[in-house]
Amino acid sequence: MEKADIPVVKRSLFSWVFPGNVKLQISLLFIIVVMVFARVLPLEMQKRVVNEAINLRDIDLLLLYCGIYLAAVIFSSALKYLINLLQTLITQRATARMRKALYHHILTLPLGFFRNTQPGSVVNSLVTELAMPGNFVGMAVSAPVTNLLTLLAFAVYLFLLNPLLAAVSFSIYPIVVFLVPVLQRGVNRANRKRVDAARTLSSRIAESVSGIHEVHGNGAYRIENRKYDKLVDRLMKIRIVWSLYRFAVKTSNSFFVSLGPFIVFLLGGYLTIKGQLELGALVAFLSAQERLYDPWKELIEFYQVYQDGSVTYQRTMEFFDAMPEHAIEPEGREAFDLEASVDVKDLSFVTDSGIRLLDGISLSLNPGEHLALVGFSGSGKSTLALCIGQLYKYTSGHVLIGDKEVSDLTKKDMVNNMGFVAQSPFIFEGTIEDNLLYACKAKVNGNGQSGEGLPTLDDIIAVLHQTGIFVDVLRFGMNTILTHDQNKELVDVIIRVRESFQRDFGEELSDYVEFFDENQYLVYSSVAENLIFGTPNKDDFNDANLCNNPYFLSFLKQADLTRPLLSLGADLARQTVDILGNLPPDAVFFEQSPINPDELDEFKILVSKLKRQKLHELSPEHHQKLLELAMRFVPGVHKMVALPALMENLILEGRAMFREKIFNDSPEAITFYDISEYIFSQTILNNIFFGKTKTANPQAQEKINQSIIQLLIEEDLLETIIEIGMYYQVGTKGDKLSGGQQQKLAIARIFLKHPRILIMDEATSALDNTSQTRIQNLLETRWKKKSTVISVVHRLDTIKNYDHVAVMKAGKIAEIGTYDELMARKGMLYELVGKK
Amino acid sequence: MNSSERNEASPSSELEENLEVLRQTYFFSGLPLETLKVFAYLCTREKFKKDEYIFKQHEEDGRAFYIISGKAALERQDNDSAKKIRDCAMGEFIGGLTLLGEVRRLFSLKAVEDTVCLVLEREKFTKAMEQFPIIMPRIFKAVAKNIDSWEERFLADRADMCGECMVNLGVSLI
Repeated sequence: MEKADIPVVKRSLFSWVFPGNVKLQISLLFIIVVMVFARVLPLEMQKRVVNEAINLRDIDLLLLYCGIYLAAVIFSSALKYLINLLQTLITQRATARMRKALYHHILTLPLGFFRNTQPGSVVNSLVTELAMPGNFVGMAVSAPVTNLLTLLAFAVYLFLLNPLLAAVSFSIYPIVVFLVPVLQRGVNRANRKRVDAARTLSSRIAESVSGIHEVHGNGAYRIENRKYDKLVDRLMKIRIVWSLYRFAVKTSNSFFVSLGPFIVFLLGGYLTIKGQLELGALVAFLSAQERLYDPWKELIEFYQVYQDGSVTYQRTMEFFDAMPEHAIEPEGREAFDLEASVDVKDLSFVTDSGIRLLDGISLSLNPGEHLALVGFSGSGKSTLALCIGQLYKYTSGHVLIGDKEVSDLTKKDMVNNMGFVAQSPFIFEGTIEDNLLYACKAKVNGNGQSGEGLPTLDDIIAVLHQTGIFVDVLRFGMNTILTHDQNKELVDVIIRVRESFQRDFGEELSDYVEFFDENQYLVYSSVAENLIFGTPNKDDFNDANLCNNPYFLSFLKQADLTRPLLSLGADLARQTVDILGNLPPDAVFFEQSPINPDELDEFKILVSKLKRQKLHELSPEHHQKLLELAMRFVPGVHKMVALPALMENLILEGRAMFREKIFNDSPEAITFYDISEYIFSQTILNNIFFGKTKTANPQAQEKINQSIIQLLIEEDLLETIIEIGMYYQVGTKGDKLSGGQQQKLAIARIFLKHPRILIMDEATSALDNTSQTRIQNLLETRWKKKSTVISVVHRLDTIKNYDHVAVMKAGKIAEIGTYDELMARKGMLYELVGKK
Repeated sequence: MNSSERNEASPSSELEENLEVLRQTYFFSGLPLETLKVFAYLCTREKFKKDEYIFKQHEEDGRAFYIISGKAALERQDNDSAKKIRDCAMGEFIGGLTLLGEVRRLFSLKAVEDTVCLVLEREKFTKAMEQFPIIMPRIFKAVAKNIDSWEERFLADRADMCGECMVNLGVSLI
């Protein structure tokens, strides 16, 4: 984190100009000075060409001065380019630094801050809004210095030529300097009104669109039109005023600047006629006058960038102007290794709005003791767990871990000693392995780069078993497609497993598996797989290239498949866009879709074309897209379209034709499915089956899993497949995992870290009975007396063996004791258990 | 599913059939067609062989079922003995509440013949509902009305047979 002493939100916009850019800014200044000289030089050459070369009729002098003129122009253009380059570099570096520093700051803000902050506004601030201040930083030195120096150089040159004329022509600028800010204030005022009016108009439109049935029902078109038209008129007026101000800035600026040549002509002409000014000097004067306009315009623009940049910067920084509640890293010492006792004394937690969520809580846990927190929703049990875990800052009382006050500890101290499993755990995009090692990497080195101190594969596998996610990871591994060059031995073993599977389970599982049968249409395979019925050995027969491959396209034509497939593709596109057109790209929605989320927009356009055009009128590119879609169609998965019997027969006939054709033309291009060969285009599981699973039914899955695990153990292949499964990509926010899998993964990543104090906030709520019981047993057998556990519990049948049970009500501990004591007392726990 | 089951001259898609089914259930029938299509799309079909459990007592499976074909028996296990409550036949929708929140099964449902069910998982339902928050009140209304009319019917038809259980009536008052 940069500038640790001053928080990023307290830094001024100007503080970004020099730090980290000193060398660049100094180089920029040097180049600017040289460039300004190179800009003035042509003026002097102009004067000399008229006064000396033309006057003396000296061609050599003319060539010399023109040569110098040209060189100066080229040189100053090159320097201008260089200045732009450096300016861009400074802008981008400053923006990147702002983005990083602000993001680092935002991540440390207390959880409370994020309850009132939309993720969208954080994204907008970091991505869009910081661009404008960054722009200012890039220009902060170069723009004013270049333009002021240029103006100054021209001014000095003009004063040297003729002080009187120079003084008169510069007299215009003070007027502009006074006028522009006045007009700019008008622009800003009108702009603010415009934003508000546009917002009102948008909500008006949104309202009438969502209430359209009412408008139609009442025929209230005129009423709605009146309301809308009034707002449009208002916006129109504001926009006119806004535009008038903007043009006024522009026009008054250019008007006053254009007055310059007029004065020069009038006064200069008079002086030249009177012989008090040389003709050459007048030419140079006029030329310099014109050139004053550009630097002046750039200065005005810079003024606007400064205005916009500083307003945006201020607004952004004010928005995030909150402070972390605890220091992140300890200063001048290592992170503590704390004793795992927990002492809570008279603890209270009051929200900003004054609601008392915890009230005078006291309890004490010795190292290795387990506490269950129970009570109705809203009783404060999660809040208590979060306060002990330093995720909330308690407002009074004490929480001591070992003998240290939690509010005085740094985050690093907590992370080193504590593990926390949240109620709705968050899974990050990446592999299963990345997520499993997330907590360990953060603890070990904070940046997750070096592998030292991380758990071994054996540790990981043990934890996968303990948390019950082993079978899921195994399935991910089984669903991996191996490449040709991957592990020859593995491929041989899988063929052996296939033989055992066919022998031992083929019959039993035949209801759940669709075997690859040359004479049957495969409902759980794609149209392409049905046609080719083999693995392509050449790239142009791969799924991605198939509809680009002239050989294959001509085969489709021969087999009378082109038009039926186009029609199938069109039908699929229409139906899928109809259902998924307005849904977000979440994996849940696209699991049963032949269209991928990133292709949806393209298909939306195609479908809208299909409404206006006949299939045969579409472009070849669109035909190709539709064919590709049809080729992906798996009738058993993509339920929005049914495959007609005629089509099924055509494809089956096509399969035989294709085999024959390939056999004659290019037999090496495809390896046809053969029970004694590994199929590289299919997953490991499909290879073992020599077919595909037909069902997602949990009971069927369980049977399949059991048989597969047994076979893999026989071949000593289990660990290898698990290792492959750990590379499974879990999707954005883990959306390719079920809620249960996400929760198991979250528990596994904390178990791997093996913290001294474990806090679980309804950590098993999304798990099935077996997994819950497994984890409860594990806590009781492996963690008792080793780690202190505080568990917010939603299921009372799991709490019998906890050392302490605390029943919470309205932010207080109503009763605390062992399960048996409390049940014998027939108090609140007794009542709660009864109710459950 | 084998090919003979699907091959018809102009077959309707499974999605269309699912849509028809959902339109007939109290839970979904009040929803706009566009939303209903999404739910019909998210449903899957599952086959249960005779004697297989569709769900089991005490489990929190988070799935709702509509029996498309076949028959299942609702059972309750009390003190080691399973008691049959009633048969659930074709056309019955079971488990609307499981879509709304975590509910552990108080009964088991066992296929008494080969049964095909339309299944919707709570996770999918919840994700889809996040996209249409505006229609959630309609579902709540449908559920509330269903509970109320169930009890109304029960009171009208069976209240006099209730005996000691009478004091526990009033599920519609929750």
